[in-house]
Amino acid sequence: MRVLIVEDEVHLREQLEKHLQGQGFAVDSASEGEEGLYFGSEYDYDAAIIDLGLPKIDGLSLIKALRDRLRDFPVLILTARGHWQDKVQGLEAGADDYLAKPFQMEELLARLNALIRRSAGYASPILSQGHLRLDTSKKEVRVAGDAVELTAYEYKVLEYLMLNPNRVVSKTELTDHLYDQDFDRDSNVIEVFVGRLRKKILPVEMIRTVRGQGYRFVAETPT
Amino acid sequence: MLGLFLTLTGWVLERSYYRSVVAGAEEQLRLVIYSLMGAAQEQGGALAFSQGVAEPRLNQPDSGLYARVGDELGTVIWTSPSAVTTGVNFPSLQGPPGAFSFSSTQGPTPRFHLSYTVFWEDLDIEQVIFSVATDRQPFQAAINGFRRSLGLGLGAATVFFVLAQLLALRWGLRPLRIMAQEVHELEAGQRQQLSAAYPTELRGLAENLDRFVTHEQRSRSRYRNALDDLAHSLKTPLAVIRNGLLERPVDLGLVREQLDGMEMTVTRQLSKAAASGPAVVAQTVNVAQIAQRLLRALETAYAQREINVTSVLDEQVMIRADERDVMEIVGNLLENAFKYAHSAVRISVVVGTPEGAQSVVHIEDDGPGIPADLRKEAQRRGRRLDQIQAGQGIGLAVVAELVALYEGELSISDSELGGAQITVRLG
Repeated sequence: MRVLIVEDEVHLREQLEKHLQGQGFAVDSASEGEEGLYFGSEYDYDAAIIDLGLPKIDGLSLIKALRDRLRDFPVLILTARGHWQDKVQGLEAGADDYLAKPFQMEELLARLNALIRRSAGYASPILSQGHLRLDTSKKEVRVAGDAVELTAYEYKVLEYLMLNPNRVVSKTELTDHLYDQDFDRDSNVIEVFVGRLRKKILPVEMIRTVRGQGYRFVAETPT
Repeated sequence: MLGLFLTLTGWVLERSYYRSVVAGAEEQLRLVIYSLMGAAQEQGGALAFSQGVAEPRLNQPDSGLYARVGDELGTVIWTSPSAVTTGVNFPSLQGPPGAFSFSSTQGPTPRFHLSYTVFWEDLDIEQVIFSVATDRQPFQAAINGFRRSLGLGLGAATVFFVLAQLLALRWGLRPLRIMAQEVHELEAGQRQQLSAAYPTELRGLAENLDRFVTHEQRSRSRYRNALDDLAHSLKTPLAVIRNGLLERPVDLGLVREQLDGMEMTVTRQLSKAAASGPAVVAQTVNVAQIAQRLLRALETAYAQREINVTSVLDEQVMIRADERDVMEIVGNLLENAFKYAHSAVRISVVVGTPEGAQSVVHIEDDGPGIPADLRKEAQRRGRRLDQIQAGQGIGLAVVAELVALYEGELSISDSELGGAQITVRLG
């Protein structure tokens, strides 16, 4: 999952980057509103964390600008002042959740994951499709009740595909969303991961190859 | 205004006097004509006038009264001796028989003229025209005299009234001047309140100003006190943390505990300082609309919890309070409800009783409810709710502070939904 952080306070920003990367997220960060708008317009994110008090373009205007450009990834706002007026205005401008500073990192991660699941249509942390069960909070996968051991990247691929079901996901998209910018991108690596993943989750056969385009996760149970 | 009124009055008076003078002149002339008619003697088919006609002025030269009698052909039958000696031009007035024709002439000697045409039987001629004239000068003199007196009189009246008005204004506005002076002293810090001795019309304003000043002072001291308390209560945990970091190993639990305390203090004191509180010139706030916005915001944020929300919001409920303060109160309570609810939240905003509060807000959830010790603290003033339970405590503490500031009521009880019910009465 690719996440955009827009936070002007350097220590907090670095802490957020570190914790999110630790959880397996690919992270882009901006220190002010203009940069944040550029990133948000140019790249495809699964979620964004935006601080309300930003220099250049403030958080509220940034959210409105992103929504105007039809960038509809979920947004979690961070607010230092904690006044209800700020929270309500943020949500009315297009944000999806708020968190007041100071916050617990666990709570931020939980809310972020919830937002990403929500936009894929899942209400709970557990994604089930047929015999396949993926627990996003425990990062566990079970097939027909039995636990399956996946590497970090195999898990990420499966999670991303399950959260973007029934549409073609190209190898480039997978690479963009799962790897940080300085990773050596080689689409063959993705093929290898998908191949190994498929073997491990047999007899579940929900990952289909669309020749020349990418992969599609076929969800039977409606989300 | 006064000048205009007096001018108008003067003009009307002058015009009616003039008219009456002219009417009097005409009446005079008419009497002369009648006396002439009475003095006429028929002598052999013609009219003759004896030497001594009734009106003596007709015989005196330059008497100012002149007469002439003629026929319908323009022949002059008789001219008064006064008219003979003084050359008088009688305008040829040929009015209809039986009617008087009145006119005035200008020229070197302005005069009034009156003529009367009659059918006279037993004469060689058919019609007799009596013409009389009189000098306008005496009448004009009377009119001028009147105008002068009128002008003087009204002028004096105007001056008198203007002076009287000025004096009245000065005297009447004196309290305002005093008030302006006192406000000046207020600003300069030489005075705390306005003096009480103002006339009834100004008393309302004076009281409002006093209340405004008091509120300002109270706000400022509340702010100062809150920041003072904040600085004071942060010093100890800071000291504890500093010292704690010198130890080996560092007691992280202690550091975290101090940090928690600092966070709670900051939240409490800043929300106390940031609250506006009731103002003298307060805006009216629509509580239902605020609740609506907050509900939408919370439903967005808690969408995945799928909480069932019921609301009864009376749009008529208006209270005099600061919008942000009301948002803090309702927002914190609603957020707690959403956080701790199982699956249902209920809010109602209704009008209060006429004797009691103007608005009543009930917020309920089906969560675990609020423990009894926390409830008791909330009822009392001087609440230390945050020390009892961090989670719901801070939000409730802030709400309790704000409600107390507005002299409202906060009560906690059990909801029929199964969880907590919080009722706030405001306004």
